[in-house]
This record gives sequence, C-alpha cells and structure tokens, in this order.
Amino acid sequence: MKILRRIFGIFLLALRASLRTKTVFALFLLMATTVLLLPAVVKGDGTPQGDCHILVLYTLGFSFALLCLSTLWAACALFAAEIDNQLIQLSATKPVRAFEFWLGKWFALLLLNAIALFAVYSAVYVQLRWKQRQSGWQESVQLVSRSVVHPLLPTPEEEAQETYLLLEKQKALPQGLSKAQVLRVLTTKAQERYTIVNPDESISWRFQLPRPVATNELITVRLRFDTEYSTRTQVSGVCRVAPAASQAPALEIPLDDFSLQEIEFDISCEAFQQTQDLSAINLSFTHTGNPAKASALMLRFRKDVVVLTQGGSFEANFLRSALVHWSVLALLAAFGLTLSACFSLPVAVFTSTILLLLVMIGTSVTEVVSVEDEKEWLKKPGILVSRGVSAVAHHALRIDPLESVINGERIENRALGEALLWNVLLSPACFGLLGILILRRRELAAGD
Amino acid sequence: MNHVIQIKNLGKIFKDFWHRPVVEAVKDLNLTIQQGEVFGLLGPNGSGKSTTLKMMLGLLRPTNGTIELFEGHGPEDVAAKARLGYLPEVSHLHEFLTPRETLLYYASLFGLPQADAKRRTKELLQMVGLESVADRAVGKFSKGMARRVGLAQALINAPELLILDEPTSGLDPIGCREVKDLVRLLAKSGVTVLMTSHLLADVEDVCDRVAIMNRGELCAYGSTRDLLRNPDVVRFSIPGLSAEAATEIRHQLEQRAARPVHQDFPEMSLEAYFLKVVSPESDNTAFKVAPFLEKTR
Repeated sequence: MKILRRIFGIFLLALRASLRTKTVFALFLLMATTVLLLPAVVKGDGTPQGDCHILVLYTLGFSFALLCLSTLWAACALFAAEIDNQLIQLSATKPVRAFEFWLGKWFALLLLNAIALFAVYSAVYVQLRWKQRQSGWQESVQLVSRSVVHPLLPTPEEEAQETYLLLEKQKALPQGLSKAQVLRVLTTKAQERYTIVNPDESISWRFQLPRPVATNELITVRLRFDTEYSTRTQVSGVCRVAPAASQAPALEIPLDDFSLQEIEFDISCEAFQQTQDLSAINLSFTHTGNPAKASALMLRFRKDVVVLTQGGSFEANFLRSALVHWSVLALLAAFGLTLSACFSLPVAVFTSTILLLLVMIGTSVTEVVSVEDEKEWLKKPGILVSRGVSAVAHHALRIDPLESVINGERIENRALGEALLWNVLLSPACFGLLGILILRRRELAAGD
Repeated sequence: MNHVIQIKNLGKIFKDFWHRPVVEAVKDLNLTIQQGEVFGLLGPNGSGKSTTLKMMLGLLRPTNGTIELFEGHGPEDVAAKARLGYLPEVSHLHEFLTPRETLLYYASLFGLPQADAKRRTKELLQMVGLESVADRAVGKFSKGMARRVGLAQALINAPELLILDEPTSGLDPIGCREVKDLVRLLAKSGVTVLMTSHLLADVEDVCDRVAIMNRGELCAYGSTRDLLRNPDVVRFSIPGLSAEAATEIRHQLEQRAARPVHQDFPEMSLEAYFLKVVSPESDNTAFKVAPFLEKTR
C-alpha cells in the first residue's frame, strides 16, 4: 500500500508539473489548431476519400507526430531536469525506490497521452461524421471496419527458403555472400514480386475466411495493380468468385475501369445461393483486353489481392487505432525516461531526437542497401546502425493504424494485442530496468 | 547509548569525465553520533561538510569507508531513509506547488495515509507560520518563506534523525531563534539532530557536541563545553552588585590569585536584544513551535 501511495504521489507531481507549465499549454494549443485548422486549410480532391485522407492521415498523423516529439522531450526532462535543478535531492532522501520514481512518472505520461489522444481522436471523429453528413458519403464506402484476408500462399520467408534450396541444388548460389544475406534478398524479392497477367491469361487464388460469413453479409474484393499508363483504357477483365466448398457456379464480375490503380467491388453472399455460411472462396482474374492493344497487368499478389469481410464497427476500429498510437507513445515515454536517467537534459533530448530520426529513415536505408553496399567498409557502420534501429523499431511500428482506418481495414485483435504487449509491457519493462539500474548507480548530487 | 550515525574511515574523491581524481573532498573521517544528541558539523566553505552529509543521505557514494545509520542500515537503505528528515542548504522546491501540496507530496513519499498526511501538513504549516499562504505557489515565496517550507518537509515523517544543512540561513532573527528552540525541543523529545552552520553562535547555542572539518579532514571533535572551555580562566557573574562592592571583591581576588583580575559589565547579545525589542508574539508568520511539539508528543 505504501508503494502505491509513493507511486501515486510521484504520478501526481509529474501531472502537476506538466499541466502547470506553459510549454504543455502551448502544445495543447498547437494541437487544437492542427485539428481544427488543418482540414480547413488543406484542400482535398473533392472526393470522400480525399476528405477522409486529409482528416485521418494529415490531421491525425500530424497531431500524433507532435505528441511523439512532445512525449519524448517531456520524458527526457522528467528526471534530467530534476537532477540538473537539484530538485531530486529532497525526493531521493525519502524512502522511495528507483522503480517507484520511474513508474510514477511513466504513468503520468501515459495518462497525459491518453487524454491528448482522446481529445484529438474525438475531434477528428466528430469532423468525419459531420463531413459525412454534409457531403452525403455512403457510410459503407468510407467509415467501415473490414477484416483483411490475404490469399493462401507460402510466406515470403518460406518461399525464400524454397528458392534458396533450389539454387543450392542447382549450385547457382551467388558467390561471396552468406546464407543470411542471400535469404534476406530472396525474402525482399518474394514480398515485392509481381505476377504479370497478360491479355487472355488467368490467375486464381484461394482465400480462407477468418470466420464463416453469413449468407446475408457482403464481402469485398480489392485488387491493386500496375499497368502501362497509355494503354490502361484498353485493359479489361473478369473476376470469378465461387465458394470453395461447393460446386456452385462462380459469380462473374466484369471489370472495365482500370483508370485508377485500385478496383474494389462488393459481393452479396446471397448470390452464391448457399444454405451454409461461407468459410473459403476461390477467386480468379482473367485479362480480357485486346492482346494487340492492351498491356499486361502487374499484381504484387501477396499485398495487392485481398478479400475484405465485415469486421465490427468503424468506431471500434478507430478506438483500436488510438490504442495502437497510445502504445507507441508509451514506448517513447519509457525510452525518454531511461535516457533522462542517463544524461543531462540537452544530451537526452539530442540523443532521443537523433534516434527517432534513425527509426524514421532506418527502414528506408535498409530497403535500398544492396549487397555491394554491405561490402564497403565506409558504409558498413551506417548500415549496421540503421539495421539495428529498424529491427528494434520493427515490432513497435508493425501496424500503421491510420492507413488501416482510411482503407476501412480492421486492426485485428491479435495485432493490437501484440502492439500493446510489445509497446506497453515488454519494451518499457526493458527500458525501465535499464533506467532503474542507472538511477540506482548514479550520484544524484554534486559536491561542495 | 545507541549510535544513530557511525562513520568509519570515510573518504570521497571527486573524479572528472576520464575518472582522473580532481579533488579529495573528505579524508579518512571517523565520527559517531549518539541518539538524542544535537551534533554540529562545522567548517569553512569547501571543507567537506555538505559532501559528508550527502554521503550520509545516499546522494553521493563514498570512495572508501563506511556509513552506518540506525545501527545496521546503509545510507541508501529505504528503511533508514524512512526514519530521517533532511533540510538541504538551499531549499530546492517545486515552484509550481503550494506549501500544502509540497508537504502532501513529501508525505506521500513516506507512504503516509491521506488523513495522516493532511493532519500532519496542517500542523506543520501552523508550526512554520505559513498557514495563511498555504495555497500560494512556492515559486513566489521569499528565501525565508521557502526555508520554512523546507523545514516543514523535513519534519513531515516525525523523523528520529534530523539532518539540517545551514538551517538558519535566510531566516530573520526571530526565525533563527525559533529554529534553535525547535532543535532543542526536538532533542529533548529524543530526536537526534545533525546540523551544519556557518553561524558559530547558533551551533554553540544548541549543539551538545561538534566536529570541525577543514579541507576534508576532521580537525576537532568533542563536546561543545569541553572544546570551548578555557581552563585557565574563571568567571563569576553577580547581578546587581554595586561598583564599590565590585572593586572590593576585585582587590581581594587579586591578592588571593596574585594575578591581575579583569572586571567588566557583560553585554547581552544583539540577538537577545533584538528579540527583546521585537516580540515574536506580534509576528503572524513566526514559528509556533511549542504547540506543534505538544501535539507531536
């Protein structure tokens, strides 16, 4: 009980410190301006999708970026400023353990972030609904939550392993590269591999639905593709959708508008005339364009062909998105607090900002690194650091919640659970342990 | 008698970034402070007093030697910290908090239940005479008022050991007197007090024993009376004696001692005169120590 009282006391102090400073007030003002003014200033393309993009991607994205920076810097200040100003000397002579200090301050940041995120998400939600009413969007098009089902295929890692074994058998493995390097290149290639569908050619996939879909429900098929710009008007095709478990005839959906790089269409399950719920479907696409005029269609079949099934309400998905963002902020708060326990305020802020930038560009760096780059000693350290940082950040930033929200894709419970486990429990626990160890070892006062 | 602090061969060397020794702040210090005594640690600036205090409080780590608090606890032991109160040389307080919030915060660090914390806070605010400004931010306080808040927080847990670093700094003469009275009264009720001060008169007034440090070393250590006693001189004080009687006694003493006898009329100290002129009862912000101690007892 005494531990809880101490943690609560430190929590309350950190809250008061935040709420009674002008910096935090200025931040809230800036966020309010962002949420209210940005959608009014940035002009969309007039489509509901465009409005939705501005509200969700720009407004929420910018507000979240602001919160990331402010959380990181506030966390950096919480210990460092107290040590620099000698304020910690009084608290440290009281019977408080280092973990109680750390937890009290971290909980305060969690609560502040929850309040800020709630305010921003609520404001954006109200604006989304208001715009929907004003512009007469069809709800099913925009503000939905649908489970994403990918076709049944081996994972890129499995495919890479298979290709590696094949190359090994054929003695065609590239010379001078380790197995890990070859597998990394093969996995990237498998992820990004295009399937080319020429006129008169067909391609088919099988989808296992995550739950049986009732006969009165809708399912949506989405195809994203690339094709030659000048001949895309000549491209046409037919999609055939059929339940996998029965001999029922396939539904044929003719597709002739390939002007945008995405086609989405709904199918009512009643059309399959089945009495049983649908658990798996077969989908095929046939290119019916004129072979003389139409160019081929290119699909990254692991990413670009999906079936979407109804998956809860938009509100619940919006809340999940907020929870994912909150979890990332929790991780940043823990990281900032640990840096704050190690360094003075300017050093902690500088280090945290540099590492945040590395997280943002680390993935891009590792994506463009070639095998030749890896051999150059001058580039090696940079590649190693970028790879290390992006590997650590990979789990934290696995889900892009805003992308899911604007695409109407449900953030699955498993993904949300993983984000919360990784960002709110495991990583903060590691950072916390490190911070506590440093606080216990560090001298919190100077001499005479 | 039990010892509350026992320091053996304590040393502290400050090092630079490259771990090269820069200054030896404390050298081979040995001290024992008994329960219930008022102990004064004296020394010029840079003598190592504050460094020694900070090592006792676990804020600095000794380079060598040991510090034992309450017979068996190290300075970083929370069980020891729960039994002591500390007033630093400069009261670094959170400027955005009010005195009430400050005391409640420190009470929470001791894990005091809410009701006890509130009661204790009220009593201490009364004691240090800050009840009327209890809800004003500490950042707007004068040095003396901030010092009073600092003193109150040091007493929030009713400590068994009170460590006061320059407790009278920033206080007016009435405040100084009240602090000294408080120290005496706390000592009477069994609290051990360790204090440092530049004002030697303060230390002389209240301390049972003192240690004098210079350049990190212990120069003198013992009871105040023994250290200050001049064994060659005897002084008599006789109030209301006439000038003739005084001259006669002086002659007799000179004949008896066979040495010249110095005769003067003792003056009261400036502090005593100030307190006589400025009555503490007329000041609303003065310490109210006696009622507080009554309640504490």
